[in-house]
Amino acid sequence: MRINATAHVAARGAFGLGSACLAMTLCAICFICGRCVAAADMTVSMLDSAGHGVAGIVIIAAPEAAVAEKHALRSAIMDQQHMQFVPRILVIQTGTGVDFPNSDQIQHQVYSFSAPKSFKLSLYAGHKYPPIVFDRPGLVTLGCNIHDGMIGYIYVTDSPFFGRSDESGQLQLHGLPSGNYTLTAWHPQMQEPGDNTLRLQITLGENEHLAPVLHLTRPLRTEMTHDGDKRWTDY
Amino acid sequence: MDRLLTGLVLQGVLLAPSLVAASDFDATIDLRGVIADGLPSYLNGGLGELRYDDEHDGARLDSVRIGFHHDFLEIIHLNANAVSYADGDRSLVDLTEAYAEIRPFPLNGWRSRLKLGAFYAPISLENRLPGWRSPYTLSPSAINTWIGEEFRTIGAEYDLDWLGRQHGHDWELGLTAAAYGWNDYSGQLLAQRGWSINDRQTTLFGRIGQPYVAPISGLREFDSDVDHRVGYYAGGTAKYLDALELRALHYDNNVDPNSYSYKFDMFGWHTRFNSVGLRWTPTDRWTVISQWLAGRTIDGDSGFNNNIRTDYYAYEFHSDFVLASWRRGADRLSARYDEFEMHQTLSDGFFNTDRGHAWTFAYEREISTMLSVAVEELLIDSSLAARPQIGEPVAALERELQLAVRLQF
Repeated sequence: MRINATAHVAARGAFGLGSACLAMTLCAICFICGRCVAAADMTVSMLDSAGHGVAGIVIIAAPEAAVAEKHALRSAIMDQQHMQFVPRILVIQTGTGVDFPNSDQIQHQVYSFSAPKSFKLSLYAGHKYPPIVFDRPGLVTLGCNIHDGMIGYIYVTDSPFFGRSDESGQLQLHGLPSGNYTLTAWHPQMQEPGDNTLRLQITLGENEHLAPVLHLTRPLRTEMTHDGDKRWTDY
Repeated sequence: MDRLLTGLVLQGVLLAPSLVAASDFDATIDLRGVIADGLPSYLNGGLGELRYDDEHDGARLDSVRIGFHHDFLEIIHLNANAVSYADGDRSLVDLTEAYAEIRPFPLNGWRSRLKLGAFYAPISLENRLPGWRSPYTLSPSAINTWIGEEFRTIGAEYDLDWLGRQHGHDWELGLTAAAYGWNDYSGQLLAQRGWSINDRQTTLFGRIGQPYVAPISGLREFDSDVDHRVGYYAGGTAKYLDALELRALHYDNNVDPNSYSYKFDMFGWHTRFNSVGLRWTPTDRWTVISQWLAGRTIDGDSGFNNNIRTDYYAYEFHSDFVLASWRRGADRLSARYDEFEMHQTLSDGFFNTDRGHAWTFAYEREISTMLSVAVEELLIDSSLAARPQIGEPVAALERELQLAVRLQF
C-alpha cells in the first residue's frame, strides 16, 4: 500500500518534487527491506547417529527475547482417518485453534487430559465441534475413548519458529530476529536420555544463515502404523 | 420358549426402526469350498476333530452374520452379533453375543468399563474381527475354538484400565473381573470329543451337533443355570506401545458338580483353568501370537455303584499354540502350530484321553474392502481314546482344505 500510494504522488507531481519524493520513497523501501534482511534464516538438520536425515521430527527455535509481532498460522486441523489421528503429530503456536473433524464412517470420542489442554469431545462423526484453542504451551496427548489404539500429539509452543523435518531431515526457518535461541527437537518415538528431547543453544547474528545440526544419540523406536489392524476391535 | 426369546431379541435388536435410524450395522457372508479327509465330524455323529468331513464337504455356506452397534446416552454402547450357520441349529438365526458396555471418559488416565449381557471373556488374542472371527486363519486355534464352543460370559465384567500412554509412558495396564452364570456344562464337550480346530461358535440359544446323534447329541451349553451359583474370572492385560500385548486370566465357573439338571439329564461341570497369551507385533508386517491354557474339569455324573457314591469324573487338559502372520498390502500369510492334550484322572471305568498337534496354513487376499478370498490347509494329528467306542480308530490324521470367499458390508 505504501509503495503504491507513493508512486501515485510521484506520477502527478512536478519533476523535482517527484524526484525528491521518489528518493525518499526508495529510502523508505530500503529501510524496510533492510529490516527484513536483518532477520536471519536457519536450516536445521536432524540427523541420526549414522548421519542420515530423520524426517518428521518436531523442531522449535525458541528465542530468548520475546518476538511480539511474529505469529504463525492461527488455525490447524487434526483429522481422524482410518481410526488414526492425521497428522499423528501436530506442532502449533500457543493460541492456535485446532479443528477436529472426523472423516471416518464411525464415531469417535476424542479426549485429552494433558496439563496444557484438557478437553473431551462427545461421540461424533463429521464436523461437529468448533476449533479448540490451545492457549498454554506443552505437549498434549490425544486419545479416542472408543478406539484405544488411536493416539495423537499436539506440541504447543510459544515460539513462532517451528516445524517438522522433511524427508532429508531438514527444516527451513525464515525471518528470525538475531539473538539467542534454544533449539528443541522432539518426537514420540525418540529415546534420548532424560526427557526424550534434544536441545541446543545457538546465537543468531544479523543477516546470518545458520545451519545447526541436531544428532540423535539413539535411533527412533520402530513406528508401527498397523493401518489395516486399526480396524480391528479386540475382544 | 427359547426360540421365541431368540426371535424377540433379534426382532427387537435388529429391526426396531427407531434404533435403525441411529445405529451401525455390518454384515458378512462367508462361502466355502471344502475338501475334508478325516473321521466323521463330532458334529455328525463321529469323533473327528474337524468341523467338516468327507460326507459334509464341497460347497458350503459357512455363515451369514449381522453385527449391530448402537450408542446410547453417550457412554453406553449396545452390541449384538447375529449369525446363521444354516446347519440345522435350533434357530436359523441366533445370537453369539448381545451386551451393553458402559464406557465413561477416562479420569486422569484411569478408566472404568462395565459390560452387561452375553459376551466373550478376554482370552483370545486371535479373534479380532467383528463376530469374534480371526483375521489370521479361517479356523482359530484349539484353545480359542474351545472358548467359542463352550464359553460365554453371561453376566457382568468390570475393567479398570490405566492409560499410561496418555501420560507419556510406554505401557498400558488393565484389570478384569467378571461374575456370570449359565456356563454349567462347559468342559463336557472337551471331555468327550477332545480338542478341535474350527470356526463354528456355539450360539446363545443353540446347540452343538444334532439331538439324538451320539456322541455329542446336540449339547446345549448356555440353556440353563443348574446350580444358580455364580462363576467368576479375573485377569490382567499389559500393553507395550503397539508392539506387545500380554494377557493372563484365571477362570472358574464355580459349578457344583453334584447339581443335576432333569431337563437335560446332566450333572454340572466344574471347570477351572488358567490362560496366558502374548501378541507381539515387531513390525508392520509381522505378528506373532502365542497362547497357553491349562486346567481341569469335574463332572458329578458318575452315579452310584452298589449304593456307594463313586468318585467324580475328572479331566485335566492343556493346549498351546504359536502363530506367525506376515502381511504385505492386501496379502496375508499365516502359519500356526497347535498342541493339545486332555486326560481323565478320575473315572469309574473308562479313562478318556486326547493327545495331538495340528498345523494350520492360511493365505488371504483382500481384493477390496468388501471382498476377500482365503485358502486354509489344516492338518490335525490326534489320538482320542473314546473313538473305539463308536468303532473308530484311536489315532487319526485329519486334513481339511478350505477356500473362502467373504463378502463384507
